[in-house]
Amino acid sequence: MSRLFDFAGGIGMGYSQPDTLMSKESVTLPASLVRKELPKWPRLSEPEMVRHYTWLSRRNFGIDTGFYPLGSCTMKHNPRVNEVIAQIPGIAEIHPHQPEHHLQGLLSIFHEMQHMLEICSGMDQVTLQPVAGAQGEFTAVRCVQEYFRIRGESQRTKVIVPDSAHGTNPASAAMAGFEIVEIPSLEDGRIDIDALKSVVDDTVALMMVTNPNTLGLFENNISQASEIIHSVGGQMYYDGANFNAILGRTSPGLMGFDAVHFNLHKTFSQPHGGGGPGSGPIGVKAHLAEFLPGPIVKKKPISSGYEKFAVDDMWYGWFQPANSIGKVQQWHGNAGAVIRCWAYYRRYGYGLKDMSEHAVLNANYLRYALHREAEKAGISDMFVDGATTRVAKHEFTLSLLPAKEKYGISAMDVAKGLLDKGYMAPTVYFPLVVPECMMFEPTETESRDTLDEFAKEFIEVLQEDAETLHQAPVTTPVRRVDEVYAARNLCLRHPFDES
Amino acid sequence: MVDQLPNRGLELEMLQAMGMSSMDDLFDDIPVEVRMTEQLALPAPQSEEEIIADARRLLGANMAMSDTVSFLGAGLYRNYVPASVFQLITRGEFLTSYTPYQPEVSQGMLQAMWEFQTLISELVGLPISNLSLYDGSTAAAEALTCAVRVHNRKAEQKDTVYVSELTPPDKISVMTNYCQGAGITIKYIKHNSDGSIDLTSAQQAAGSCGVYVEQPNPLGLLDGGYPQLKSIIGDNTALIVGVQPISLGLVEAPGHYGADIVVGEGQPLGSPITAGGPIYGIFACSKPYLRLMPGRIVGKSIDVDGNEAYCLTLSTREQHIRRHRATSNICTNETLIALMGAMHMSLLGPEGLHHLALRNITACNLAKQKLSEIGTIALPHSNGTHFNEFIVELPSSASNCLEYLDGVDIIGGFDASRWYPERKNWLLVTVTDQTSAKEIELLAAHIALWSSGVNA
Repeated sequence: MSRLFDFAGGIGMGYSQPDTLMSKESVTLPASLVRKELPKWPRLSEPEMVRHYTWLSRRNFGIDTGFYPLGSCTMKHNPRVNEVIAQIPGIAEIHPHQPEHHLQGLLSIFHEMQHMLEICSGMDQVTLQPVAGAQGEFTAVRCVQEYFRIRGESQRTKVIVPDSAHGTNPASAAMAGFEIVEIPSLEDGRIDIDALKSVVDDTVALMMVTNPNTLGLFENNISQASEIIHSVGGQMYYDGANFNAILGRTSPGLMGFDAVHFNLHKTFSQPHGGGGPGSGPIGVKAHLAEFLPGPIVKKKPISSGYEKFAVDDMWYGWFQPANSIGKVQQWHGNAGAVIRCWAYYRRYGYGLKDMSEHAVLNANYLRYALHREAEKAGISDMFVDGATTRVAKHEFTLSLLPAKEKYGISAMDVAKGLLDKGYMAPTVYFPLVVPECMMFEPTETESRDTLDEFAKEFIEVLQEDAETLHQAPVTTPVRRVDEVYAARNLCLRHPFDES
Repeated sequence: MVDQLPNRGLELEMLQAMGMSSMDDLFDDIPVEVRMTEQLALPAPQSEEEIIADARRLLGANMAMSDTVSFLGAGLYRNYVPASVFQLITRGEFLTSYTPYQPEVSQGMLQAMWEFQTLISELVGLPISNLSLYDGSTAAAEALTCAVRVHNRKAEQKDTVYVSELTPPDKISVMTNYCQGAGITIKYIKHNSDGSIDLTSAQQAAGSCGVYVEQPNPLGLLDGGYPQLKSIIGDNTALIVGVQPISLGLVEAPGHYGADIVVGEGQPLGSPITAGGPIYGIFACSKPYLRLMPGRIVGKSIDVDGNEAYCLTLSTREQHIRRHRATSNICTNETLIALMGAMHMSLLGPEGLHHLALRNITACNLAKQKLSEIGTIALPHSNGTHFNEFIVELPSSASNCLEYLDGVDIIGGFDASRWYPERKNWLLVTVTDQTSAKEIELLAAHIALWSSGVNA
C-alpha cells in the first residue's frame, strides 16, 4: 500500500516557490483570524508524489485499460488531441470576465458548438452553460417553469417520468419544485400510451423521456406521446444521455421535443475523469429560448476599430436572453470540456452519422455474439433479453434472472467474474424494470475482435460454478468490498489521532 | 474521412452475420415520420493536423492572461500548477475511468478521493468533505438548500436563509435558481462602510436556516468579525463560509470559528482558470449535515479478506437510489479536477501552503501600498486586511479606466459596478502569487497617468 498520509518528509515543500515580494513584516491579520495550526497535510517530495499517484492509477480501470461496456455511460475512446488542445494558453489561461475582444477565438468556438448541437438536435437555440447532464435537466426544467409562470399557467405543477428513467430526471424536476408522476412502462420498457393518457391534464408541465430509452429501445410511439402532452399544453423534454444512438438518423426536434440536454462527456468524448468533469448543454425550441441562462453567443457585424481582434468576418458577442432564468454556474460553464468536444466534433463533421451507426452496429453485434456463444456452449437458458426486440439501439439489456433462479448466479456475480477477466462490468441492476439486469453499451470505438472475445469470455464466466463466482473477483487490487461495513463504520477521512 | 472507427470496412460482414444487409436495417425501428432524410448540415471531417492548426489559430486569437499583465480575479485566481500534476492526470487509468461503481477495479480513484476528502477536511477544519461539486457557486447554493433541510423543522424563520449583500450577483443568481424550487427565501445581511460585516444586521438572521458569508469577502477583505457570527445566529442556524482555499495557509480555518459548512472555489488549488470551467467546488460540513448533504462521498472499508479497501458510501442520499427524494440531482461531478487539487495539495504540504498564502498576501499588500501613493485615487477599505484583491475608487468610471489600460496591454482588474451598479468608479484590483513587483509598478504608473488625465 502507498498511503498519502504516511508521507512525513522533513522539508515540507514538494516544489520550490520563488520568494519574490515576500516580506512577512508587512503581514498583519486580525488577531481573531490568525491560523493557529496548519492543516495536517502530508509532506512529499516530487518523486514520492509522482510514484504515489502512479501507484494509485495502476489500481484504477479506464477505457485505456480495457473494454468498458458500462451501459448508459457511453465509454468511448477519448482522442488525445483533445487534451493537447485544452492545454493551449488561449483556453487554459483565460478569464471569463475578460472583454469580448480578448475572447473572439473562444466565442467563435462556442458559437460553432451551439450551432452544431442545434443542427444535430433540431432545436433553435443552445446554451453551453450547464456543466453536467443533471444540471442540464434542471436548467431546462427551470426554463419550462418560467415559460408557464409568464403565461399565467402556474397550475402546471406535475412532471411525468417513466419508471425506467434515469434517477436524475425525477431528482432534477423535484429540485425545481415539481411534483413527480411516475408512469409504468410496458413489458418491453417502452412508454405505456394508455398509462400516459390516464395521467395527463392541464396540471402537467413536462414529460421527460430518454429515447432510445434506458433499455436501448427506440420509443416507436414517441410522436403520439408528444401529441398527447402537447394536446394538454405540456412540454416535452429529451434526456440526451442516449444521444449517441441517433445522430444523423433522427432528432429530438423531429420527435416533437421542446427541450433537450446533451451529455458532451458521453456523445462528444469529454473524458469521464473518474466521475467528471462533464458538460451538459441544453437546446430548446424558439418559444423557450428567451428563458435560457445567459450569456449565450451570437454573431453580429464587427464594430469599426475591432477588425484586428476578429477571427473571421463576423463578431462573436455575449447575449442575454430577455427573460433568462439567470445562471446555473457562476461562469460560462465547462469551457474546457466544450473545447475538447469541439475538437472531437471537427474530427467527424457530418460523419457524426457514421459514429451513431457504428455505435448501434456494435451494440447489436455484441448482443448477437453473446447469444451465439451461449448457444454454442449450450447455456442459452441462463439469460434472456431484457426486452424482446429485433434491433436494439446503442445499448441493450440482458436479464440474468434464469441464472439466478436455476444456478444461484446473480448479475452482480457475473459482473465480478468479468472483472477477473480484465473487463469493466456492464451496468448492473439498472433499469429497475428488468430483473437481474445487465446493461451493455460497447460504443463505436471497440473492434469486432474485442466484441467477439468479450462474448466468449462472458459465456466462460457464466459457465463457472456459482461458488467460484460468489468468490470473484480474485485478481483485482482488492476483493469484494464490504459496502455495508463502510456505511456502518463511517470512516470518511484519515483518522490522524488513531494512527 | 473519420478515423476513429475500428470497424470501418467490416460493416457488411457484421451486418450479414446478424442476418441484415444494410445499416438501414438497424434503424428501421425509427418511425418513418421522425427519420432524418438529409445529411447533417455540418462540414466535412478533419484530420488531427487540421484540427490542431485551427485550434491554435482560434485559441491563439484569445488574449491569454499568461501572455499579458493581468489584475483580473473576482473569484478566479491566476496560479501555478506544478508540471507533475498535468503529467499525472493524463494517465488514462484516471482520465478515462468513470464513477467507481465497481470498487474492486477503482481503488486508485477511490483512495485518491478519500485522501482529497481528508486534505479538504484538514484545510477548512471540518470533519466531512464530499469529493467535489461543480464550482463555488453551486457549492454555495447546495449549502443553502442543505441548511434548510437540516434546520427548517426548528427554525423560527422557516424556509429562509441570509446571504451577505456583497455576494456577486452571478452567484446569487445560481443560489436563487437552486433555492426557488424548495420555496426558500433569500434575505441579505448588510456590511459597514469599511466593508466589514454589520453584526447588528446579522442578528436578524438568528432563527433562520442558514447564513452565507465569504472569507475573504468579495471586496478582498478578511473580516475579523466572523468568529462572532456563530454565537449571534445561534446553534440552529447554519454558518456557511465561502473561502479562497489558499488563504487558509494564513487565515484561521472557518471550522475552527464556528462554521458548520465551508464551501469555495477549489480552482486556486490545482486548476488553471480555463475560462471558468472545469473547476471544482469545495463542500465540507460538520456531522449534523452528513446525511442530508449533496454529492458523492468515499468511505474506507474492508474487502472480504479484511484488507483495507475503499468504496462510495451513504449513496442512499443520491439520485440513482433516492430519485426525487435525493438530497441533490448531482451525478457527474468534477472528480478529475479535484484530483488535480489533491495532487497540488500533496506537493505543497502545510509549509508550502503557508508560503503560498504569504506570497499572495504580500503581493496584495505591495499593490495596495503602490496604489495608495497615487493622490488622484482612493482605497476606500484601506484600513482592512486584504487577501488577493481590493477596491480602488477612481476619479471616473472603472470601465473608462479598464479601456485605457487595455490600450496599453494591461488587464487592469474587474469593473465592480457589474456587481454594485451604484459604484461606477470602483475597480477591483487582483494580485496573486503570479503577480510581479514590476507589473504592480506598471499598473500604478498607468493608473496615475490615466487619472491625472481625467482630472485635467
